[in-house]
Amino acid sequence: MKVKKSVIFRRSSQVFFLLLFLYILWTTTYPLKGAFNADMFFKTDPNIMLAVALSERTIVAGLVLAFIIPVLTLIFGRFFCGWVCPFGTVIDAAGSLRRKKKALSDGVNARIRNIKYVLLAVSIAAAVLGHQYAWVLDPIAMMGRFISINLIPAVTGVVEKTFIFTMRDLGFRPEWLYSFYRALKGSFLGVETYVFANSAPILAMFALIMAFAAWVPRSWCRAICPLGAIYALLARYALLARTVERCTQCGMCSRDCRMGAIKDDLDYVKGECILCMDCVYTCAPGRIRFRFLPARGQGGHKTLVRQGGKGAISRADFILLMIGSILASGLKWAFKVPRKLIRPPGSQDEKAFVDKCVRCANCMKICPTKVLQPAFLESGPGGLWTPHLVNEIGYCEYNCDLCGRVCPTGAIPRLGLEEKKRAKLGLARVDRAKCIAWSAGMECLVCEEHCPVSHKAIKIDNVIVNGVVLGRPVVDEDLCIGCGICQNKCPVRPQRAIVVDPQK
Amino acid sequence: MDRFFYRLECFLKGQVSRKTFLKILLGGLTSFVAGNAFLKYAFAKSEGSNGRISRGITGNADIIVAKGVDPYRNTVEAVKGIGGMGKFVRKGDTVLVKPNMAWDRTPEQAANTDPAVVAALVEMCYASGAKKVNVLDVTCNNEKLCYEHSGIAAAVKEKGANVYFPDHWNVVKAHFPYESPMEGWPVLRDAVDCDVFINVPVLKHHGLTGLTLSMKNLMGVCSGTRGMIHFNIGRKLADLTDFLKPDLTVIDATRVLRAHGPSGGDVNDVEKMDSVIVATDPLLADMYASKLFGKPPMEISYISEALARSPEKKDLAKAKVVELST
Repeated sequence: MKVKKSVIFRRSSQVFFLLLFLYILWTTTYPLKGAFNADMFFKTDPNIMLAVALSERTIVAGLVLAFIIPVLTLIFGRFFCGWVCPFGTVIDAAGSLRRKKKALSDGVNARIRNIKYVLLAVSIAAAVLGHQYAWVLDPIAMMGRFISINLIPAVTGVVEKTFIFTMRDLGFRPEWLYSFYRALKGSFLGVETYVFANSAPILAMFALIMAFAAWVPRSWCRAICPLGAIYALLARYALLARTVERCTQCGMCSRDCRMGAIKDDLDYVKGECILCMDCVYTCAPGRIRFRFLPARGQGGHKTLVRQGGKGAISRADFILLMIGSILASGLKWAFKVPRKLIRPPGSQDEKAFVDKCVRCANCMKICPTKVLQPAFLESGPGGLWTPHLVNEIGYCEYNCDLCGRVCPTGAIPRLGLEEKKRAKLGLARVDRAKCIAWSAGMECLVCEEHCPVSHKAIKIDNVIVNGVVLGRPVVDEDLCIGCGICQNKCPVRPQRAIVVDPQK
Repeated sequence: MDRFFYRLECFLKGQVSRKTFLKILLGGLTSFVAGNAFLKYAFAKSEGSNGRISRGITGNADIIVAKGVDPYRNTVEAVKGIGGMGKFVRKGDTVLVKPNMAWDRTPEQAANTDPAVVAALVEMCYASGAKKVNVLDVTCNNEKLCYEHSGIAAAVKEKGANVYFPDHWNVVKAHFPYESPMEGWPVLRDAVDCDVFINVPVLKHHGLTGLTLSMKNLMGVCSGTRGMIHFNIGRKLADLTDFLKPDLTVIDATRVLRAHGPSGGDVNDVEKMDSVIVATDPLLADMYASKLFGKPPMEISYISEALARSPEKKDLAKAKVVELST
C-alpha cells in the first residue's frame, strides 16, 4: 500500500478550508471579533463578484480579491474545486457515502460537462443586460446560505433546547450546569432566536445537490457549477499538467476519476481535472505525474494538443442562449410584483439591491435582533432569499450597522453608524382602529417609550378622558426612520396597531 | 406468540391489511396521546410563587440622600448612612442587584443606571459576605448591546458579580392573595428566589407614567409581553412591588434625563443632579425622587395607587430624611 501523500494533503486542505469557512460564519455575530471578516470568502469568488460588477457597472469594493484564484488557476489548474471549495468538500463527503460509484460513459460526460458553460453564459449574458443571476447557482453563496440559515440555527437550537429540557423539564439544575449554560449563552450560543423564515427551500436545494453527489460523484461540479466553469475555462491553459509515461492501458484511472475527466482512451480533459490526485495512486505502475510545463507529447496520454471545439460551446448553442436570456429577463419583468419590501438600511433602491444581493445570508446571520429574514416570493421570483425586515420578529437596532459591514457586494452599503442612524427604512403608521389608546381609551404608549430617535418620532397627543389625561401616539413623519421597534413592541395582537410601511 | 411473529412478518414484508393498518394507527395515536399526557404530568410543572420572602429590615432613617460629584462615593456613603450593607446582606446570601440597563445607550445619555453606582453596591455586597451577586435586566433593546454599551456589565464584572442574560424559560408565575391584574404573570425565578433584592433604578423622564422610578424598574424582572403591563400601569406596578418586596432601593440621580425618556439619546436633555437616594421603602424612595425631579408625587400613577392602598398613609413630610454631602 502506497502512502497517498498528495491525497492526505488534499484532504487536509479541504478540511482546513471547510473549518475556516465554518469558523468565519460562526463568528459572524454581534461583536464581530473573528479574525476574518465574513465577506472575505465571498469576495474571492469571481463568479458573483464579476457578475455584480458587470450588471451594476460599478467597481465593487474588494473586487481585486476576485482575481486571486483565477490567477492561481492559470498556474495550478482547477485546484480550487479539489482543494479549497467548502461546497466541493461536502460534495466529496456525500460522494463517499456510496461505495460503488456510478461511472458515466464518455459521451455522457462530454455532454453534461457542457451544461455548466451554458449556465455560466446565461448568467454573464444576464449581467450584460443588467441583471445579476450568478447567485442562483453559486456554490460559495449556496454553502454560506446553508450554514448560516440551516446548519448553525439547527445546531445552536438543539444544544439550547437540550439544556432547557434538562434543567426545566427534568428538573436537573445543579449550579455548575447552570453556570456552564450561562457562559455558553453569553459566548457560543448567542441569545437570538434561531429560526429563519423560508429556510426549508434552502435546505431542500442543498439536500438535492448532495443526493445527486451521492449518486454520481461530484455531479454538481461536473455539470452545473458556474464557478467551476470559470475555473475550467482558465485551467485549460494552466502550467501544471498531468503526464503519463508508458501507459499499460489498464483503465483504472478512468474508472475512478471523480470528475469524469479521464476519457475511455485514457486521454484527459484538462479543464475538468481538479487535482484530486486519486489517479496518481490508482495507477498501479505509478506512471502518472503532475508536472509544470510538460514537454510536448508528455501532456495527457497522447499529446498536449488543443482539442478544438471539445468542451466549448457551439455557435448554435450560443444563439439559443442569447434568445433564452432575453426571454428570461422579459420573464423577470413580467413576474415583477409591485409590492415593495422593507430593505436593510441604505438599500432602498429595490432594483439595485436585488441585483447586487448574492444571497450569501451574512447579513441575516449577523443581525442581532434577527429582523432580517430571507424573502420567498414576496418581491417576485427575482427577489428570492433576499433579506428583508420582518418587524414582528425583530426590529432594526438603532446603534448597529453590522449588516452593512459583512455584505460582500455592497448591496447593503457601509454607511457608518452615524449615517445609518439617519437612514430611512420606511415609515411608521398608527392604525387608529386597532390602537388601544385611540380606540379603547386605554393607557399604553409602548411605541413612544421604545422609539430610539432622541427627540421621539412618536409624539404624544394628550386628551382628557373622564377627567384623566390620556396620551395617544402620533407619528412624526420627518423624524421617523422606520426602524420598526414600535411595531415589534406593540402589545396589540394578532395584528400590531402600529406598522412600518416601505417607503414610496 | 407465533401469531405475533406472523403479523410482524406480514408487516415487515409490506402485507398490511386494512384492519392491521387501522390498529396500528389507533395504537400509535393512543400511545402518543398517553405519552404526552404522562410527560406533561411528570415534567411540565407550572411553578407558582406567592411572592418573594423579604426579611423586612428597616434602616436607620427612612431616606438617605448623598450629594457629591463622585457617584461611587455617594453610593458608599448613602448605604453607610442607612446602616451599612451588613444590615441587609448576611454571610452566604445570594443577592440580586437589578439596575436599569434596558437601553442601548451610553452612561452619558442617562437612560441607564450609572455603572459606578451598581459597581459600588456589588462591591459592598461581597464585602458583607454575599456568596453570589447576580446582576441582570430584561432589556428593551438587544441584550448584548445594552449590557455592553451601558458600561454596567464591564463595571460589575470587575467587582466579581455574576452578570448574565435572563432566561425566559426559568420563570415562576406570580400569585397574589388578592385579585390582581398581574395574576399569573411570569417573573424571573432568580428575582423571586434571591435572599436580598437591591433595586437600582435611574431617575428619568417617562412618556406614559411621567417618571421612571424604582417601581417601574421592577418591570425588568418580568418576562412575557411586557407591553401589556402598560395597560392600567399604576395598579400593576403597585401589585408587582408588593410581590417582589425589594429590600433596598437605590435611586441613581447622578445624571437625570429630563425629557424624551425613557430611552432619551440627546445629551442636552440630561441634567447633572449628582445625588444617590437610598431607602428601604420603595414608595418613600419614589416619592422623594419625584419631588427631587420637580414633579408632584401624586401625579405619578403608580405612587398614588400604592399610597391609596398602604394601611399607614405614608407621608414624605413625616419621613426621616438625612441629607449627606460627600
